[in-house]
Amino acid sequence: MTRGQQFGFALKALKRDLSAGELRVLALALIVAVASVTAVGFFTDRVGRAVERQAADVLAADLIASSGFPVKQEWLDEAQKRGVDTAMHTRFPSVVINDDDESQLVAVKAVSAGYPLRGALKLATLDNPTELANLATPAKGTAWIDPQLRDILQLSQGATLALGAKDFVVERIITFEPDAGENVMELSPRVMIHIDDLEGAELLTEGSRARYSLLMAGEEAAVDGMSEWMSDNFATDARIQSVRDSGPQLQRALGRAEKFLGLASVVTVLLAGAAIALAVRHFAYRQADASAVLRTLGASREDVIVWLVIRLALVATIASIIGVTIGWFAQLVLANFLSTWFSLELPAPGIKPPIVGTLTAFITLAGFGLLPVIKAGQVPVMRVLQRDYSGLQTGSIITAVLALAATFCVVWLLSGDLLLSAIVVLGVVAMLSVFALFGKYMIRAVRTLAGARFRLSVAGLERRASSSVVQLSAFAMGIMALLLIAIVRVDILSAWERDLPEDAPNVFVVNIQPEQVDGFGARLTDQGIQSNGFFPMVRARIAAFNGESIIKEVMSEREERRARREYNLTYANELPAANEIVDGQWWSAEEEGNFLSIEEEWANEYNYQVGDTITFKVAGVETTGTIKNLRKVDWESFQVNFFVVASPSMLNDFPQTFVSSFYLSDDFSKATSVWAREFPGIATLDIGAIVDRIKTLMDRASLAVEYVFFFTLLAGTCVLLAAVQSSQGERIRESALLRALGASHQQVRHAVVAEFAILGTIAGFLAAFFATIIAWGLSREVFELPFSVNPSLWLFGVVGGAVGISIAGYLATRKVLHTPPIVALRNTG
Amino acid sequence: MNTSAESQTPVSSPLIATDIVKRVSGPTGDMTILHGVSMQADAGEAVAIVGPSGSGKSTLLGILAGLDSPTEGVVTMQGQPLTDLDEDGRAKLRAQSVGFVFQSFQLLPGLSALENVMLPLELTQQDNVKERAMTVLDEVGLSHRASHHPLQLSGGEQQRVAVARAFVSKPTLLFADEPTGNLDSATGDRITELMFDMRKSVNAALVLVTHDDELAASCNRRLRMNDGRLSEL
Ligand SMILES: Nc1ncnc2c1ncn2[C@@H]1O[C@H](COP(=O)(O)OP(=O)(O)OP(=O)(O)O)[C@@H](O)[C@H]1O
Ligand SMILES: [Mg+2]
Repeated sequence: MTRGQQFGFALKALKRDLSAGELRVLALALIVAVASVTAVGFFTDRVGRAVERQAADVLAADLIASSGFPVKQEWLDEAQKRGVDTAMHTRFPSVVINDDDESQLVAVKAVSAGYPLRGALKLATLDNPTELANLATPAKGTAWIDPQLRDILQLSQGATLALGAKDFVVERIITFEPDAGENVMELSPRVMIHIDDLEGAELLTEGSRARYSLLMAGEEAAVDGMSEWMSDNFATDARIQSVRDSGPQLQRALGRAEKFLGLASVVTVLLAGAAIALAVRHFAYRQADASAVLRTLGASREDVIVWLVIRLALVATIASIIGVTIGWFAQLVLANFLSTWFSLELPAPGIKPPIVGTLTAFITLAGFGLLPVIKAGQVPVMRVLQRDYSGLQTGSIITAVLALAATFCVVWLLSGDLLLSAIVVLGVVAMLSVFALFGKYMIRAVRTLAGARFRLSVAGLERRASSSVVQLSAFAMGIMALLLIAIVRVDILSAWERDLPEDAPNVFVVNIQPEQVDGFGARLTDQGIQSNGFFPMVRARIAAFNGESIIKEVMSEREERRARREYNLTYANELPAANEIVDGQWWSAEEEGNFLSIEEEWANEYNYQVGDTITFKVAGVETTGTIKNLRKVDWESFQVNFFVVASPSMLNDFPQTFVSSFYLSDDFSKATSVWAREFPGIATLDIGAIVDRIKTLMDRASLAVEYVFFFTLLAGTCVLLAAVQSSQGERIRESALLRALGASHQQVRHAVVAEFAILGTIAGFLAAFFATIIAWGLSREVFELPFSVNPSLWLFGVVGGAVGISIAGYLATRKVLHTPPIVALRNTG
Repeated sequence: MNTSAESQTPVSSPLIATDIVKRVSGPTGDMTILHGVSMQADAGEAVAIVGPSGSGKSTLLGILAGLDSPTEGVVTMQGQPLTDLDEDGRAKLRAQSVGFVFQSFQLLPGLSALENVMLPLELTQQDNVKERAMTVLDEVGLSHRASHHPLQLSGGEQQRVAVARAFVSKPTLLFADEPTGNLDSATGDRITELMFDMRKSVNAALVLVTHDDELAASCNRRLRMNDGRLSEL
């Protein structure tokens, strides 16, 4: 046959296959795999990029280099050379004075044209709260201020503010500053001016604590290159932050969502892969007869194999097209929801997801289907004369190797992670071995326990021992994947909800004087606000580490930063909420001595260990404490958290202020302007916008999670269908025979349903077992969430397995009962 | 193609089998199914093989047609020893000069009646495939069912399609394994008639395995298989 003929011939056969439902399950499994990979790919790609952009908003750039020294010309040159956009800002504390000579400590931010490179400021005039279109940056000679400052200093539109040697006209209120969260502890109200005004105002003198930042943004590759160049050459001179390591809350939430999506997508494809494997094996088996006839008529083995391969390739192509289309529409719908709900603009979908989806289909099909098809092409021709030449063996080492190689390739393609791919493959091998091993024994055990009622069913299972074990494994895998995804999903969503409850604090109040604490506390209670407590705060610099001064002749930028930086210390006798000891012990109130508890990551950065001593200098007086423990801080909690907690004896005699946080449902500026007058000196910080943004992000992520879950469910269904289908022929023949021998309708139905129920129960049991183990591993290692054994898992697994699979099996083999036995026997004979 | 094969070999005996032994290994050790069987079929001759069930008739037919290899002995088809050919070589020879009719019809369920008949011609890449197939389908009286699929046809109709498929390539050798075994006697008679008529028109040798004495009687020669041994009746 010529290739053209083979193709035409395959096309004809395919039309028939499709209309006869022969390839229905295979096509369905392929479509689900492609659609899920494509949809998840499109979706995570688009949302991922949108979220990354939003994370960039938090920095107002893709990349920031900041240090205590003016931005180097060299950096600007390099950025220009690489085609990276730049902007600068310089931040420092200062004091502003209004026309009435009232002064206020402020946080100045002098920005260059172009700021913010990412995100946008939201502005209003001082007398009208309607938001204004964005004016890029303050013009020279003008200042934009925080609403709080307007309230404290009673400023009106066009008022002047003296800052350093210069007067500024107040033009705008900043209602939203994208990168305000970057330095949450910069607590005084904001004043934003143009960077060129710094010189005239003579603000930056020797010793002023200014922070100079270079903001960079541009094409991903260019920014990555720039980031690398900066880290290679200036890691010790500047603190380099990129989108990827911005804000811990955001980052963690995102990281988990991404991991979950990745996991769900891999599980979906594995399930679809199992369905494809079963369906293609079934297809090959069914094609063995046709193959023998064709070869009797003179077709070569190659002809037959090519014919089968073309058919499968055509199915895969059609399924890919349908799958990609479905995937595209699915993400379109979802993306539309997202952009209208969250007014988030998604970048256009990329080309990669459909390619990956299609590749997944072809690799899976080739890995699982090629060998059975070749075997079908080589089936002994004597089959046409003697049926007992059934000999189509598909279980061989090569089959297994090919299938595992395909699995590995697909997981690798989806995750880009070699180690993960290897783990998945080994996991699948281990699991299937256990299924195969225990499955056989369990079926046998059921046989000994079974009463006369079930004897027929168990006998059926035993008679088809190998296909029963295959089915059992498929059922167990399907149920396990569903259980697993369900647990992880519930865990993740509840962990997020725990992290960010409705009433997560959105206001921080600092600089409360000790004598104001009672009054302010009472004021809050009056207003019906529940504070999370008042924490003492002592500002200190580090003087020495293990008795050795940290001030040296020559210091790197990092050491310099450490030496210059002021830390907020607190003291307590109890471990703060949402904190966890990871090394050493907490101290008790009775213990004598100065102890320190240090945040884990900060300790790692400077290599502080339990037993080391740190000397702090508070208002010129030194105090030394021994590190008693390291703490893990849940930054997602939005509580007041401290890098350093000391035992009370070490700090309670020093000058201190108090800090508090709480959830405020009222309008922020209305509530706080009153406090500012009543409790002079306190500063309030609205982090509601940041909290809202993270909440929004988590909502988005959990929507995506639900969404992928749906595809996993579909893939699981495909596995069940394929498994049921794989034994359907045998079953139809068997029950036709039973009925021919006089079994009643009901007897046959009972036998079929009981058989599936037994399989479902065993599969559910095995599935619950593995799901528990894997969930435990995932919680610990991947998601970093606490794990608890969930007894309902076993209930759902075993009962759900028995009921679900009986129903599926009954529905799929209903045909068995409605086919007259004679037809069944003749057609399959 | 037919012509080249015919020009090379004496047309007298398109099929010669000598000392065919078939041994298979079963669960209870080796078992000999055929004990040195020899036979031949001359051009245009009809040979019937009868014998009890399990005596080895289908096994012999498979070996004669090159569907299976003998453990010992040689089958020569169209002057070509089958032992010299590999599987695909034998398939090619079959495509050129062999037709089959089986007890269980063996039509491809995925193809229509017409497509099933076209198959042998397509396999040998011939011209006017559709017209020729349609002509033969007409000869068996089924041109009006050309687009129907096998499962939509009755057993007798399916077997007529199978007969059309067997003759469409004008074979010099025809093998039939109980072609009427699944049909009632009236339908069986029609098939037999059809088969013999068509055989005559292409002058093909026929090797026919049957339980039906009447059918065997209409052949030129009758052989009896007994426990793997063949004897002339
Ligand atoms: N591959 C094989 N392995 C084991 N035994 C075989 C094999 N092929 C054939 N046999 C046995 O050889 C014997 C002859 O089989 P064969 O199919 O040739 O019989 P038959 O004469 O065609 O019978 P029937 O008239 O019932 O079709 C039978 O006992 C059969 O079981
Ligand atoms: Mg036979």
